Amino acid sequence: MFFRSYMRLSFVLLIFPFLVAMVLADTVFDFHEIRGRKAKVSNLSLPQVVVKGSTIEHLGTDHDGFYSITFDPVPGATGIELDWANEGGYKHWTIREIEAYAKFGTKLDIVAGKVVPGPARTSDKAFANAFDGDDETFTYTTQSGTTVAPQRTLLELGPGSNTIDRIRINDVAGNGDNGRMQKITVRITTDTDKDLATRKYFDTTNLSVQIFGEALMEGETLPMNGRSRPQSMSGYGDQWSSDTHLLWDGLIGDSMETTIMIDNSSEYNFHIQLTKARDYGQFDLYLNGKAIAKKIDLYSPSVSLADAINLSGLKMEKGQHKVSFKLVGKNIKATPYQKNRYLLGLDFIKIVNMRPPAKESKADLTDISPPQTKDHAATTESKLLVPSQLKVSLDEVLPILASRCYSCHGDNDKVKGKVDLKAVSTREGFLKDIELTQKIIDVLTFKEMPPEDEKQLTPQEHLMLSSLFRGYLDHYIKASGTLKPTVMRRMNRYEYNNSVRDLLQLNGDVYPLPEKVIRSSSYFKPSSGSFPKSIRISNRALGKNQIEQHILTGVSPFAIDLQSEHGFNNRGDELSVSPIMVEAFLKLGRSIVNAPEFDGYSNLINSIFFEPPNSELITRAQLELHLSKFIEKAFRKPIIPDVMERYVNYLDGELKNGQSFEQSMKKVITAIISSPRFFYISEQKNGKLKSQPLSAYELATRLSFFFWSSIPDDELLSVARDRSILDPKVYASQVKRLLESPKSKSIAENFARQWLRLDQLITAVPDFDRFQIYYSRIGCEQWKFGLQTMIEPLLLFESIMVEDRSIMLLVDSNYSYRTDEMQSWYNDPLPFGKRQNANRFSTNSQTFTRRTLPSRREGGVITSAATLTMTSEPLRTSPIRRGAWVATVIFNKPPPPPPDDIPEIEQDDAEIEKKGITLRQRLVAHQENESCVSCHKKIDPLGFALENFDAIGRWRDTYNSGLEIDASGEIFGERKFNDVIGLKDTLIKNPQWFMRSFIEHMLSYALGRELDINDKPSVDKILSKVMADKGKFSTVVTEITKSYPFMNKTNQSE
Amino acid sequence: MILKRTSLSRRKVLRGAGATLALPLLEAMHVSSMAKSSNVIKPPVRAGFFYIPNGVVQTGWHPKDTGPGYELSPTLEPIRPIKDEVTLFTKLDRVKVAGTDGHAQAGACWLSSAAPDELSPAGYPLKKTIDQIMAEHTGQVTAFRSLELSCNPYEDNRESVYFDNISWYGHGHVARSLRDPKKVFNRLFGIKQHLESGSILDLVMDDAKSLNHSLGKTDKGKLGEYMDSVRTVEQQIERVTKRQEDINKLKLAEPVKPWQAMTRDEFIQVMGDLMILAFRTDLTRVATIMSSPERWGSPLKVQGLFEKPVDHHGMTHGQGNHHVRSKLAALDHFHIQQFASLVMKMKDIKEGEGTLLDSMMFTLGSGISNGRLHVYTDLPTLVAGRAGGALEPGSHIKSPKGTPIANLWLSMINAMGLKKGSLGDSTGKLKIS
Repeated sequence: MFFRSYMRLSFVLLIFPFLVAMVLADTVFDFHEIRGRKAKVSNLSLPQVVVKGSTIEHLGTDHDGFYSITFDPVPGATGIELDWANEGGYKHWTIREIEAYAKFGTKLDIVAGKVVPGPARTSDKAFANAFDGDDETFTYTTQSGTTVAPQRTLLELGPGSNTIDRIRINDVAGNGDNGRMQKITVRITTDTDKDLATRKYFDTTNLSVQIFGEALMEGETLPMNGRSRPQSMSGYGDQWSSDTHLLWDGLIGDSMETTIMIDNSSEYNFHIQLTKARDYGQFDLYLNGKAIAKKIDLYSPSVSLADAINLSGLKMEKGQHKVSFKLVGKNIKATPYQKNRYLLGLDFIKIVNMRPPAKESKADLTDISPPQTKDHAATTESKLLVPSQLKVSLDEVLPILASRCYSCHGDNDKVKGKVDLKAVSTREGFLKDIELTQKIIDVLTFKEMPPEDEKQLTPQEHLMLSSLFRGYLDHYIKASGTLKPTVMRRMNRYEYNNSVRDLLQLNGDVYPLPEKVIRSSSYFKPSSGSFPKSIRISNRALGKNQIEQHILTGVSPFAIDLQSEHGFNNRGDELSVSPIMVEAFLKLGRSIVNAPEFDGYSNLINSIFFEPPNSELITRAQLELHLSKFIEKAFRKPIIPDVMERYVNYLDGELKNGQSFEQSMKKVITAIISSPRFFYISEQKNGKLKSQPLSAYELATRLSFFFWSSIPDDELLSVARDRSILDPKVYASQVKRLLESPKSKSIAENFARQWLRLDQLITAVPDFDRFQIYYSRIGCEQWKFGLQTMIEPLLLFESIMVEDRSIMLLVDSNYSYRTDEMQSWYNDPLPFGKRQNANRFSTNSQTFTRRTLPSRREGGVITSAATLTMTSEPLRTSPIRRGAWVATVIFNKPPPPPPDDIPEIEQDDAEIEKKGITLRQRLVAHQENESCVSCHKKIDPLGFALENFDAIGRWRDTYNSGLEIDASGEIFGERKFNDVIGLKDTLIKNPQWFMRSFIEHMLSYALGRELDINDKPSVDKILSKVMADKGKFSTVVTEITKSYPFMNKTNQSE
Repeated sequence: MILKRTSLSRRKVLRGAGATLALPLLEAMHVSSMAKSSNVIKPPVRAGFFYIPNGVVQTGWHPKDTGPGYELSPTLEPIRPIKDEVTLFTKLDRVKVAGTDGHAQAGACWLSSAAPDELSPAGYPLKKTIDQIMAEHTGQVTAFRSLELSCNPYEDNRESVYFDNISWYGHGHVARSLRDPKKVFNRLFGIKQHLESGSILDLVMDDAKSLNHSLGKTDKGKLGEYMDSVRTVEQQIERVTKRQEDINKLKLAEPVKPWQAMTRDEFIQVMGDLMILAFRTDLTRVATIMSSPERWGSPLKVQGLFEKPVDHHGMTHGQGNHHVRSKLAALDHFHIQQFASLVMKMKDIKEGEGTLLDSMMFTLGSGISNGRLHVYTDLPTLVAGRAGGALEPGSHIKSPKGTPIANLWLSMINAMGLKKGSLGDSTGKLKIS
């Protein structure tokens, strides 16, 4: 645990360093090194905080924290009053710095503050400088019993009237023996009366508070050289942060090195936590080649944490810094590790900025203010992802538009791509047509416009245009700020299966689901943090679809719900309930409990649920009690009396008809799982407010459907019932628990499969004669051997999930899971020698083994055979389909549908090559038409980059005819690559592209709706966290669950 | 493979799928709802729709001349034996609305009653389809309002709901089709399953009502769809119960062969047979069949026609090449053949003083005419049957340029006994007799 070790660092206050945390900028990290669940949330000492009216009460016993306080914007604000209170008996507390994200992004200027009770000043000098905004820390000592004394007047807000909606307090702290902040009351004024005593204040509305944690670099997540690897320390106690440290070994004279990024030049304190044990060495610590600590002896007879190394006053410049540990010797008692090597264990490095620089007046240099929606706390971080902005007005930009854009988009009735920029020449116009504004930003960002053959924008012009339009977009989001409402949806058949399985405590699925491509699940143990090296699995792709198979006699699923065109099959507007669906639900409800196998398959049967109340005469009250838990679980809502009464009446009626208790209970179950309250996922949305937080039960339901595609379990329900799920600490621990449950496999089965569109492989039919090795004869039937490649990307996804690696591995992994046959199929020119087309594999199950990949042309989902095959034609590759897949799945930028009249291309590449040209040349020749080129220029290079893979995803150096393959291209105008490895490099160097896309896909899945422009700030915020964590899987899902759209709902307009 | 037409073909096909059929006749069924005059039953008018995706090869489709004596084009050749029972309509258009996928719109909006400017939230001019407008009327007496069938053979999840359904209760509310002949069979003839469902309908309806007041506007609409569906099912159960005796007399056995194992022609014919059975027993008077979903660029085996799996949609893009075009025309021919087989079966079924076909309006069509150009003008449209006298078949009726297909739909709705003056962008009724 981090907190424990932190306490030993004496009472030095640890200040949130302004993103000293690993910040990516242009640095390329090796994403392969990232591993281990960081459990960032559990590291934090999140105090219990309750908001009451305008007051934030801190009920926990923790001493410090960083608070971001948000409330409804107050236009015209001129000042703010914060009323502080700490606990009577305590003597000591500190507030370090307060900033506001007001219109000008300046530091917040406190108009008035109070300390209640107190203060009794022990140092007038210090008090005189309270809240004055300089960088010093001030400590106030108070005595209990002192009467309320108004604080002195301090600073004012910047010039003009402001719209304040957020304050961040960077540290409110005490120490173990002394005080803690107990209460903050927030009031705002628009009164400019110089006499503060007569100023009027009013309470803020919709006050909420967010608490930030410490910045901490886990050893196991740092980029490291040589022989380093994470080691789980849970066997030695729980004192290691994240239960893991980074283990390294070397010979005397060797060094372990890492780099850290500093984004603000300042003075820092270092806190380094190492491990000690009997085979650990003595080290000198260097910072940028300069020794800063000598001969740190890590010998200890037993394994434990070493004393923390605290170094203060290190001046560090913005940029990269090298930290190295040089093995210089050994304790005389130490025993070597492997003959003559000694170990080092790095738990974490913590850096504290002791002199945070004054905040620069930032961003809003456009004629519009920067985004200040409620979900935009991480502005400092987001800034890193957004190019710098200029102050620029539309008048300055119009001449650029006129000279560079109008000739195609407005002049002489020419409106290419139906974009008429000349027609929209006002600020209001661009705000009104926000989709156009977004489009302009996109084409500028990705350097799509002006077209290549036109004169390009100068960097200054580019910056001016993008600054202006970004400002418009930000303003729009701020002004609109309402999220797209979700629509009540019925469960799809995958969710229905899981929900019924969990509600009725079945030993397995309700019916066979083709959605479950991998039929085995016992290997999937997310809490272990390790994914097996070798997995024996059966899968439906090879087993003959189980056409007639039943798990429970007479129970069969309804037809699959189709995916939305660019999304998932969990969107309310596409999941309606026709009479056929009503019939299906009624029939399912009935046939499940009446199946002959049910009694042996459900663990509910032997539970108290099926035992009649122990009395002669069964009362209604007893029945109510009996049913209440079950109904609460099935409907995921607090029990509603009239609903209860209905089911009690029904049960009572069955019993009075002479049915046995068990039979009657089965009938009630049938009714409950046939109810719309069960199979519709709905949220209460009839309030007046536009957006509001989800209720405790609704939040629990959203969580469980996101992680498990199922209803909440008992524990999740209990924290919904007592509303403790609304406590961030409890919420975080539930999120972690859900993610670490084996049921989270549904994220792979349901999300990943749909995200990758893997189903399309099922109907891929590579030409039998040309691609015989795709098939294999078993008995007298031809099977698609190649279908087992469908498992490969899914296992990669699952391993990333379980081992909590970086999602960037989905783009470029150095390992993969393959069967022996697949490995040969991928790599050998003639797989299996003479056994080409017979009995090449078992149709029952296969063993997939983790293999280190020899070449970077393999690895990741883009170059997996499954993807490459399903985007090909039977007789040739299809660079366009491949490109469209990459654009959609990897960039979340689905290309627009093709125009109505598209010229045909030969379906067989042999025919094309006969003419001495390649498919690429053929396609390019076909796109002479300018309107084709503009789109294909974006899509095709992504597909051409994959031309070294044939129509079943096998590598080829040249085309069959011997023609050369040209896999070079460029992305977004300027990033050129030569081949598929170059494409991967480009993606790795710009991880924000893929990360953003992945976050958007997953957020859309989690919400069950399409995203729109108003989700952008939330995605930005998640992205900044994911970037800082280098793409860790757990950070992606955790940040999604913490995001504003996930935790809130929007009422539907009347 | 060409199905030989014999008087027993329907029995054969059903047996191929495992069903035996005791040839029930309408007269044998004491259907109270049917108008009787003396001893002769006047059969009700029925409407069936048979969808073919991706348009047709235009050169193979269009006959040179019009009127009753027109000469069949190569693609239409299979209707020769029933040419006098079929009307060919050409130059009927739909207006394509930009901004959504051309294929999805072609399928989902083929039967839509929306005018081009009436857009649903998803962007399609999609509201209640004409089969559902008819079904609202005829469903007042039949056990099942309507029947939606699909011979979609694909097991992947390539396209969205808009590609896979032609029948809609309203925008966003799809009349989901059934793909599995066994499920269709059991829905129509499995009395027991309906009776068992009845007992908890009140309960779930009360649950829905109590849920309603906590919902927002859109959600209320969604729940409204559900409640409508429950009411439909309720009625269905009530009416199926009344017909219990009739249905039991039929002694039908469910199809044995799983649809995944059927050849294309088997699959389409079995679905067609089930539709015919539902009409003959008057369990419903409105049905739709999608012979295949729109676009769905996955290769597909068409047994007896092509050696290797073909991608219908892909071929429509390649039809500039004459090899591809001739293969595509063969596939069009195949679909017409499937349609013609069903029409011939209807013609062989005696009902009252005529045949089942006499009371039918069995429409074949596509929401797109040319799959390469993706245009919605001059949609391929065939209507078989006489609609109880409202249709005078046997001709090629070529409409003036710019005639909306809504005009035909309007005439057909009126032929079903509804009195409607306009529909979507209709400009008047199309003369069909």
